[in-house]
Amino acid sequence: MTQADRFGLGWRPDLAAGIFAHLNQIDVVEVIADDFFEAPKKERRALRTLAAQTSVVLHGVTLGLASSAPVPTKILEKTARLCDEIKPDYWSEHLAFVRGGGIEIGHLSAPPRNADTVEGAAANLARARQIVGSLPLVENIATLIDPPASDRDEITWVNDILTASSCGLLLDLHNLYANATNFGYDPIEFIDRLPLERIAAIHLAGGKWVSAQGERRLLDDHLHDVPDPVYDLLTAVGARAPQPLTVILERDGEYPPIEILLAQLARARTALAAGRAQTKAL
Amino acid sequence: MNTAALEAFLARLYTDDALRERFLAAPQAEAQRAGLNAAEAEALAAIDRVGLELNVRSLTRKRERREKRDHH
Repeated sequence: MTQADRFGLGWRPDLAAGIFAHLNQIDVVEVIADDFFEAPKKERRALRTLAAQTSVVLHGVTLGLASSAPVPTKILEKTARLCDEIKPDYWSEHLAFVRGGGIEIGHLSAPPRNADTVEGAAANLARARQIVGSLPLVENIATLIDPPASDRDEITWVNDILTASSCGLLLDLHNLYANATNFGYDPIEFIDRLPLERIAAIHLAGGKWVSAQGERRLLDDHLHDVPDPVYDLLTAVGARAPQPLTVILERDGEYPPIEILLAQLARARTALAAGRAQTKAL
Repeated sequence: MNTAALEAFLARLYTDDALRERFLAAPQAEAQRAGLNAAEAEALAAIDRVGLELNVRSLTRKRERREKRDHH
C-alpha cells in the first residue's frame, strides 16, 4: 500500500473537544512535548488515550538545538521518556537557540548563522539521537531580526546543518513566507535549494503585520488564518517533493470554531493535491 | 568569533531592558564591557535595530502569554 499524505492539527486544550469530535477529518495530531514533561499522571493518561485513537507526533520547543552550547541533558531525557510512553510517529524540534550564558530567552531565537552553530547543531542532534533513540525532524524558524554576527544566509545555514546530520526537515511554510517577506528573498528559490527528499513534514500557520521605526514586518504569531501565499507554497512543495508528507496546522490562540480550522485543513489537502497533480502532468 | 559569548550577550540583549538601552546608546562599548572582542562588538554594532525592537516586543508578549496561561 502506498503511504498517503496526512493532515492534522496541533493539540491545544482549547481545541481538544473539537479534535475528538472530528477525528474522522484529522489524520494526525501534533502535541507540544514540553507541555507534558511535568504533566500529572491524569494528563499523561489522556495523552496515551489520544495516541491510541489517532496518530500522534511530538513537537519540542525548548531544546535550543541550533546553538554552540550543548542542549540540556534533562530535556533530552524527558523527551526520551515521553517518546517511550507515547511512541509518536516522529518527534521534531526547531533550529533555534533559546538560552545563552544561563539566561532563558523564553522563546525561539535565530542564532548567529555561522560554522559554530552548524557544528553545535550537529553535535546536539547526535546527542539527541543517543539519548532519545531517534533523530528529530528539524524545523526552520521565523525571525523578526536578521541574526547578527552571521556569515551565511538562512538557506545555506539550514542546508549546512542538514548536510552535517541525517535528520529530516519539518518545513514551516509560514516561517519561510514571513522570513522571505521580511528579508527580501524568494521563498520558491529557498525551497528549490533544499534537499527536497529530506522534507518529511510541513507546518502551516498565520501571522500579522507589526511595525517599528516606520518599517513593517510579518510576525508569525499562530493567531491568524493561514494566508493564501502559504497555500501556494504548499502546492509548490507538493509539485517538487513526491514523498508522503505530514501537514500540520498550528493555531495557538484566538481560536475560531473548529469548522474553520477543518476548512483550512481541507484547503491544505486541495493545495497539496494540486502540486501532486502538476508532477503527474509533467 | 566566540559564538557562545555572542549567544550569551544576545540572550541578555533580548531580555534585559537596561542592558539594551545602554547597548543602543553605545553598542561597541557595551559589547566590549560584556567581554566581547573588537570584531564581535563590531558585528553587534551593525545589528538590525528594527528587528531588535520587534523581536523584543514579540518575545515579551510571548513570555507574558505563557505566564498567564501557566497561572490558569
